[in-house]
Formats: sequence, C-alpha cells, structure tokens
Amino acid sequence: MSQSTINKILLYVLIAVCALWLVIPFTMAVLWSLVDPAEPWTADKLLPPVMSTYRWSHMWANSSLKPALINSYILAPSVAVVTLILAAPTAYAFGRIQFPGREVVKLIALLPLVVPGFVTAVFFTSIIFQMGLHASRFGAILFAHSVILMPYAIRILTVSFEQVRQDHIDAARDLGASVIERWKVAYLPALKPGIMAALLIVFIQSIEEFAIAFIVGSPSFVTVPTLLFSTLGQDFVRPNAAVLALILIVPNVIMMLILERLLKSANPSLSSGKG
Amino acid sequence: MTLRKWVTVIALLTPGLGLIIAMIGTVVYMAIAQSFGLYSLLGDSEFSTEFWDKMLGRRAYYKSVKYSLYIGTFSAILSVALAYPLAIWLRKPFKGSLAVGAILKAPLLVPGLVAAFLFINVISYNGILNQFMQWLGLWDEPHRLQNDRNGFGILVLQTWKQMPFALLLLTSAVQGISDDILDAARDLGAGTFARFRKIIAPMTISAMQAALVIIFIGAVADFSFQVIAGPTNRQSLAQFMVFFKDSGRWHDAAVVGVTLMGAALFGSALLAVAARFVLKGGRLK
Repeated sequence: MSQSTINKILLYVLIAVCALWLVIPFTMAVLWSLVDPAEPWTADKLLPPVMSTYRWSHMWANSSLKPALINSYILAPSVAVVTLILAAPTAYAFGRIQFPGREVVKLIALLPLVVPGFVTAVFFTSIIFQMGLHASRFGAILFAHSVILMPYAIRILTVSFEQVRQDHIDAARDLGASVIERWKVAYLPALKPGIMAALLIVFIQSIEEFAIAFIVGSPSFVTVPTLLFSTLGQDFVRPNAAVLALILIVPNVIMMLILERLLKSANPSLSSGKG
Repeated sequence: MTLRKWVTVIALLTPGLGLIIAMIGTVVYMAIAQSFGLYSLLGDSEFSTEFWDKMLGRRAYYKSVKYSLYIGTFSAILSVALAYPLAIWLRKPFKGSLAVGAILKAPLLVPGLVAAFLFINVISYNGILNQFMQWLGLWDEPHRLQNDRNGFGILVLQTWKQMPFALLLLTSAVQGISDDILDAARDLGAGTFARFRKIIAPMTISAMQAALVIIFIGAVADFSFQVIAGPTNRQSLAQFMVFFKDSGRWHDAAVVGVTLMGAALFGSALLAVAARFVLKGGRLK
C-alpha cells in the first residue's frame, strides 16, 4: 500500500473519530440546552421530545448569569490591558537589550505557570486576608489574573520586540524622527500583531480562569466559570449547565479565529511594510 | 554593562518580572510559613511543626499524594504517547493535514470546566455511550461510568484536554528534523521503530520534556475535573487543600499546598529525567 493510500485511510478514520470526539459532545450540549421542561428527555428517545429556548431565557432571568457575564466581560478586558501594560517594559528588556543573566530571568518569568493555580489562589487569598483587602474582590482578582497571565504576554511581546528591525529604527533616527515618532514608525507596525495576540490570549485565559475567580471571589463574586462549576455541583441541572457551557465556549471560538488570522499576519517584514 | 544601563534594565523589569517575583514569591513564602504555624488568620501565630506532624500521620494525606501523582504521571505519559505518532504523521503536509491538525487541536479552545461537562454528559448513566454499548449488545444494562473508582474518567478527560498541547509542541519539534537525516537512517536499514528511537526521540526530547512537565503540573494539581468527574472515595491534593481552607484550617491547607508544590516540582523533574534516560537508551547525557 502506498504512503498516500495509507494517509487517505488514516485521514478518514481520524476525521470520523474526531467528529465523534467533538461533534457528539457538542451536539449533546446543544440538544440538552434546548430541552423544554414540559417533557423530559428520557433515555428511550433519540432527540428531546419538546425543544425550546426556555432554558436560555430561564437562565438569563433567574440565575446569576447576568452578573457573571458582566463580571467576566469587565474583568477579562481589564486584565488584558493591565497585563499588556505591565508586561511591555519587561518584554522590551528581554527582546532588545543584551544583559548578563537574561536567559535565567526569562525562565523566572515563567514562575506563575509552574506554581499550581490552586496553591496561588489559596495563599493569595490568605495574603489579602492578612492585609485586610478582601473587600475588593474585583481588584484582587484583576491583580492576580494580571500576574499569573503575565508570562503569556511577556513571551509573545518579547518575540515581537525581537522582530523590530534595527535598520528601521536607525533610518527613522537618521531622518530626524523623535523618540515618539520612532516608536510609531519603526516599533508599532512590527509590534501590532503581537500586541493583539497578547491581548486576546490573556483575555481568553482570564475569561476561563477558574481557580482564582473561585477561591478569591467566593461567595459573592461570580464569573461564568464559577457559575458553571456551581451548576455542575450539588444542584446539577443538565440543561442549565449546557446553556452555561455553550456561553463559556463561544468567545473562545470567535477569539481564536481572530487570533489565527493575526498569527498568520505576524510576519515582521509584512507588518513593518518592508521586505 | 554600565551602571546606567543596569538601572534601565532593572526599571524595565520591575513592573513585569518584579511583580511576578513579588507575588509568586510571597505566595510560596506564605504557604511555607503557614504550614509551620506562622501568619495565623484565626489564632496565635508561632513556629511549630505540629501541623506537619499531624498531617504526616493521616492516611488520607498519603492517599491523596499517591492519587495526585498517579493522575499527573499517567495524564502526562498518555498525552505524550498519543501525540507522538500524530506529530510524526503530520510532519509532512498532505492533503487535509491542516484540517486534521485543526480538529486535533480543537480541545485547546475548550475551557476545562466545559470539557468536564461535555464528558460527563457523554458517559452519564443514561448517556449516549451507555446507550450505544447496549445497542451494540455489548452491555446488558447501563454501567455507572461517572466518578469511577480508578480515576480512568479523569485520565480520559485530561488526555482529551492536554494531548493537543503536547501535539502542538511535538509537531514543531518533529518538523525541525531534516529529511536528510531520516533518509540516511532509512538507507542504512533503520526500520520505523529504530528511526523513532534513535533519531526522532533524541532530537525532540526537549519538546517532549516540556510537554511532560507542563501537563504533569496541570494534572497533579487538578481540582475541577476531580470534583466533577473523579472518584468520590479519593481526593486530589488540590481538593484536599481547598477542603481544609474551606473549614478554616489554613495551616493544614498550607501543609497540603507545600506538598502539592513539592510534588509538582520533584515529580515533573523526575519525569523529565526519566524520559531522557529512557529515550537516550539508558544515558542521561
């Protein structure tokens, strides 16, 4: 059997398996979210007997979904912007300045990824209790998310800063550009895809982050993941959980599609307009 | 480097790296200090090894350590073992390989809690898997698959969620191996397995170690999968820690937290060294 025939067979098998792997779970979630309470979906029926959007409107009106969405969608963009601002100077140093020990400190910047999320969450809560700051849960989560997600922003922006071409900076300087103008013409075009990618990655990670939002935020501050977690617990109502699961996944898919386009355009020569 | 340049570098690193070191350093310090009775939130603070002594006498503690290490190790190994053949298969682009790659990496987009929900939906008592097995005639009645005693459900869930990450790292590493080397090996008579063992594995070992370490740390510290789909007679370390914290027993939580950090650190290092040892044919260098 030739390599291309093997590839073809493997491809069909894999697409079938993955379709089952992805399509079935998601179809089940969509169907469960459409189950009308008038008639339950029992094991002997292939599809829900009565389908409606009742669960969606019910969750919207009667659960903490509204505050959770508001909290999540105020928190995540704020975290993205704060993280970007805090990470940029470090990324500049990593990407454009040669200094002894640079590789070591680059590794140290990955610390938040190495310490387990729940350890960070529990003892960060302990610290804010010690400092008496537990009243401001939003601020505490914003701060904690910004720090634990900083490695992503630093990594992405470091690569972007490395891609800024020295000849563009020199040319701008030789032509009499001020510091701000140099940033505008030489740095910004090369940095743009990295900035967008960092914002999106941090946004997605913050939207779906559970440990800190759950430990620091409980019981009064709800986000979509903490709400989903509580509906998966003792009061597990499958259709309601399905609604929340779908709500949580939508922004990820949209953002990732944008990210995919951005990363494709993250070519330094393209983004700086010069070959 | 001049003093001025050093000052500039330090000033630039402070808001990013400085904040990371300050926060994570304080968190780690707080966990260690509280495990020794300091910084008490409820009573007197004084240095004591009492919390460690008591914890080390509890059977539930050892069970929890063993269970978390089991989940971490097997999740990492299963994810990497599954990702390797796929990465090698996707090394050379072919018609449809982009679509395959995208489908395989799709679970990366799915938040952990959603993945857990999708999973328990499929394996529930009256769920589609049970129905399918009965339809095939393999099972006479539905089986209870959720919260299975051995944590197999957790391993499936972790592998589903983490394998794409291993694939991402391994694909780029495998693509970095030039055709010349593999062709030369083939010409010299190396079979598929020999080419993997003697060329691909040693040349992609760093990516594999990175995948093993990151997946291990995530899985060893798992809380949400365990609470939703894990065995009810076992507690993961994170779950054990949160249980103590919720009962206001911060010092006990700290002992478990420090253990969790230790397990993540030493476990991942051990796994990385073991992987190198195995793939380099018993040599560490």
